[in-house]
Amino acid sequence: MSNSNQLREDLIQIVGEAGILPDDRLNRYTIDGIGPQAVVLPRSTHEIQEVLGYAADSKLVVIPAGSGTKLGVGNPPEEVDLVLSTSRLDQVLEYEPADLTVTVEAGIRLAALQAKLAEHGQYLSLDPPYADRCTIGGITATNASGPSRLRFGGARDLVLGMRVVQSSGTVVKSGGKVVKNVAGYDLNKLYLGSFGTLGVITEVSLKLQPLPESERTILLTFANIGEAVNVASEISGSQLLPTFLNLFVNSAPLTDNPEPCLLIGLDGHPETVEWQIDSVKTIAQQNGVFSVGVYEGQQQQELRTSMCTFPEDGSATPIVICRANLRKTDIGDFVNTTLEVNESVSWRVRATGLMGNGVVYVIFSDFPDGEVPVQHVADILANLRDAAANVGGNLIVESASAALKRQIDVWGPVGRSFELMKAIKTKLDPIGLLNVGRFVGGI
Amino acid sequence: MGLLAHNAPIVFTFHALRFTHEVSPMKENDPLISELANIVGSEHVITDPTSLSVYECDGATVFKALPDVVVFPTNAQEISAIVKVANKHNVPFVARGAGTGLSGGMLTVNGGIIIALNRMNRILEIDLANQQAVVEPGVVNLWLTQAVQDDGYYYAPDPSSQQACSIGGNIAENSGGPHTLKYGVTSNHVLGLEVVLTDGEIVEFGGTVEETPGYDIRGVMIGSEGTFGIVTKAVVRLLRKPEGYQTLLGVFETIDDASNVVSSIIAKGIIPAALEMMDHFVIRAVEEAFHWGFPLDAGAVLIVELDGIKAGMQQQAEQITEIFNENNCRETRYAKDEEDRQQIWKSRKSAFGSFGRLAPNYITQDGVVPRTQLPKVLRRITEISEKYDIPIANVFHAGDGNIHPIVLFDERDADQCERVEAVNMEILSACAEAGGTITGEHGIGVEKMDYMPLIFSPEDIAVMATVKDIFNPSGLCNPGKIFPTAESYAKLGL
Repeated sequence: MSNSNQLREDLIQIVGEAGILPDDRLNRYTIDGIGPQAVVLPRSTHEIQEVLGYAADSKLVVIPAGSGTKLGVGNPPEEVDLVLSTSRLDQVLEYEPADLTVTVEAGIRLAALQAKLAEHGQYLSLDPPYADRCTIGGITATNASGPSRLRFGGARDLVLGMRVVQSSGTVVKSGGKVVKNVAGYDLNKLYLGSFGTLGVITEVSLKLQPLPESERTILLTFANIGEAVNVASEISGSQLLPTFLNLFVNSAPLTDNPEPCLLIGLDGHPETVEWQIDSVKTIAQQNGVFSVGVYEGQQQQELRTSMCTFPEDGSATPIVICRANLRKTDIGDFVNTTLEVNESVSWRVRATGLMGNGVVYVIFSDFPDGEVPVQHVADILANLRDAAANVGGNLIVESASAALKRQIDVWGPVGRSFELMKAIKTKLDPIGLLNVGRFVGGI
Repeated sequence: MGLLAHNAPIVFTFHALRFTHEVSPMKENDPLISELANIVGSEHVITDPTSLSVYECDGATVFKALPDVVVFPTNAQEISAIVKVANKHNVPFVARGAGTGLSGGMLTVNGGIIIALNRMNRILEIDLANQQAVVEPGVVNLWLTQAVQDDGYYYAPDPSSQQACSIGGNIAENSGGPHTLKYGVTSNHVLGLEVVLTDGEIVEFGGTVEETPGYDIRGVMIGSEGTFGIVTKAVVRLLRKPEGYQTLLGVFETIDDASNVVSSIIAKGIIPAALEMMDHFVIRAVEEAFHWGFPLDAGAVLIVELDGIKAGMQQQAEQITEIFNENNCRETRYAKDEEDRQQIWKSRKSAFGSFGRLAPNYITQDGVVPRTQLPKVLRRITEISEKYDIPIANVFHAGDGNIHPIVLFDERDADQCERVEAVNMEILSACAEAGGTITGEHGIGVEKMDYMPLIFSPEDIAVMATVKDIFNPSGLCNPGKIFPTAESYAKLGL
C-alpha cells in the first residue's frame, strides 16, 4: 500500500469514510501549488484530538481550515500534509436572543448563522467576503471583517470566548459567553488572527446586534478622487454614524463604474436614516458630487453583497490583492500613489478604501497574456509597503501567486515584538504541528 | 538587605487581610535604594514607613501589603532602568496608577518596589483628524475627555472612578464603565502600546493604525493586570461626541420589574448607551447621603441613556417610557438638559461614596451573568444575604449583566469576616453557574484568585501560566496575582 493510501486508511479509522474529502475535490485546498495529502472533516472535538494526535505521531503538518476561503493567505508552505476542516461542526450550541449573544461550533457558515439569527430579528455584524461559504471559525482565526467594521468593529471586537484544541490535543477555553469579562488573560486576542498557528478553534461565542429597522445605501460618484476623499473625511469626522463608508477607485461593485465613488451604508431607526441621507447629500453637494443614488430593497442587497465580496471576483485569472493599514488621513496620499502605479504599468490597478478605518485594498489584475510579471509586481508592492510604513502603516499581501510570494514577505516586518511572537508560537505549539512557516517571520 | 526574596510565604486569611512579610525599614544606603535614587533622584524615592503606608492598598482597602520602596519615574527609560535594578536584586516590582483598583491588583504581596506612574501624566499628542491621542499611563481618564470635549470628542471608557483613575491602570485592568454596553471596554479603544517588558526592554505593540501583522500582543497585554510589563505610552481612540442624549430615570416597585424593562428594551432592538440599576438598599443610601429625591421605599431605580443622532431618538425614548409603564413604573424622570443629565449620572456614580455610612467596610463584587439570568441571580443574592445575615446592596450595569453586589461588614468582627468570605464564594458561584464570569471589569488581582477555578479548568489556567512565563519568566513583575493556588482548589473542594 502506498503511503498516501495508508494515510487515508488511518484517517478513515478516526473520522470514517465521510470524514475524508474525495480526491477529486482536493484541488480547492491546494495552497500555492501544493495539494494536501488529505482533507479531514472531523465531526467532533474528540475526532479533532485524534487527528491531531495521529498527525503528531506521523510528523505531519496540519493546516486548520474552515471552508478554505482564506487558505491562500500566508507564506508559501514547505509542505501541506493534512488540511483539517471544522466545517462539519456546524451547530448553534446556545442562543438566547434576549442576551444578544450566541455560541456556535466553529464550522457553521456565516450565512447559515445569519438566517437563524434573523428569525429573532438579530444578526452578527460581520460581513467578510463569501458569507455563504466562510465559517465562524475561519472568520475568527483570520480576524476577518468587512465594510461594516466601521460601526461595529471587526471579529476582534465581537468574539467573547472560544474553545480551542491545542496541538497537544488538550481542549482549552478562553474568555467566556458574557459581554464583559476580565477574568484571567484575554487569550481570545491571541487566537484571533493567528491563522491556525496556535490551535484549532472548535467553538466561538459572539456578541450580536438587533437588525436595523431601516437600511439604505448611498452611491456617490465624483469627477476626481480628491473630492471623494474629502467627502469621506467630512462624513467620518461628523456626528453621522454610517455602517460603512467605502471608496472605490477605477471600478465599483456591480457597475464597474470607472469614476471614483463612495458607497455609504445608513442603518437604524427610519427617522435617523432619513436625516443621515439628507446630511450626506448636503455634504456631497458642497463638495462637487457628480451623481447621488439612494438604494433600498433588492438593488441595495445586491450592491452590498457585491461590495463585501469585492474585489475577490472568484475568477481563475491571476489577481494580486494587498491591504494597507493606515491612519485615516493618510488614505488620500496612498491612493494617489497607487494611481501613479496605474499610470506606469500594463495591468489593471483598482483600489477600495474603508475610509473610516484607514484600510485600503489595492488590486492588480488583467495582466497582459494572463502572466504576472513577478519581479515587477514585487518591486511595486515593496514600494507601496514603504509608502505605508513611512506614515506608520503597514501592508499585507493577501492574495498572490506562489512565485510572487517567494519574492516578497507577504506579512512585512513586525519589528521588535517578533521575539515574543516566536516564543508564543513555540510555547503553544511546541511540536510545530500547526500551519508551520506561513505566518509572520516564518512562524 | 531589607527585602525578602519574591517567593517568600504569603500570610493571607480573611481574618487578617494584611499580607505580611518581614520588613525592616529600608535604609538610604541600601544598594537597591541608592541605585533607584540614582535613576529617579532621591526626592522621588519613598522609604519611610509612614509615607509607604499610603501605597499599601488600592480601592479594595481590606487588602493591604506594605511595599518596601516607592519610586516615581518620569519616562520609559527610567522605568527600564528600575526594572533592571529590580531584576539584579531579585526584588518584585509592581506598577501603580491612581490606586483606584478594586481587586488589590497593585499590592506588593511579597514586598518590593512600587513603580508609581503619577508623574507620567502628560497627554503627548491629540490627533483629532484621526480620532486618536497618545497618552502617558498616569493621565487621569477624565482629563483626556476634558482635553478634547470642546472640539466635540471624548474618550469612551468611563469607569465610575474616572475622575481619579489613570489610563495606564484602565489598560492593566481592561476597565469598563456604564457605557460599555454600547461602546465596549478599554481593549476596544486602544490602538497601540509602548511597554517596558519585564527584562527592561522597551517595545511597541500595535500603533497608530487599526491592525498590525502578527499576533495581537497589544490585545493580550490589555487586561493582564500589570503582570506582563509596564505600559509607558498608549495610543487610544477618541470618539465623536454624540449629537444628542436622552437620559431617563425610572423608579420601580421591584427589581424584577426593572429587570423585565431591561430585557424588553433589548428585545425591541434598542441598544442604549447605558442601562444602570440600583436596588432599594442603594437608593436609600444614596438618598440619605445626597438627597436626590428618590422615594425611600422604591424597589429599584433604572437609568437608561440613549445617545447618538437626535433624529429618531425621541421616538425611542417614548418606546422606553411605554416599556417602563408596562412594568409598573412609579415615576419617570427625563433629563431636560445637560445639567440634569449630569445630576442623574452623579447620583449613580456617587453610589459608592455613600456606603461608608452603612458599614465600616465593604467589598464590591463584580460578577457578570447573561442578561436574562439577572432576576434569578439577584434573587439568589438576596437569599445568600439572608442566610449569612450580611447586608448586600446592588448597584450595577444591568445592560450587560455586570452586577456589583456590595457586601457590607465590619472587619473587626472575625465572625462577620468568615461569613463574608462564604458570601463572596456563593455569589461568584451563582454567577458562574448562570453561565457568567466572576469579574467583568475589576480584575482578579488578589481578591478573586481563589475563585478562578469556578470558571476555568486547570488546563485553561495552564495556558495562561504558559503565556505569563513568556512575558514574565522571572515572576518578579507583580507576583501573587490572578493564579489560584493549591489552597484555592482546596477551599473550593476541588
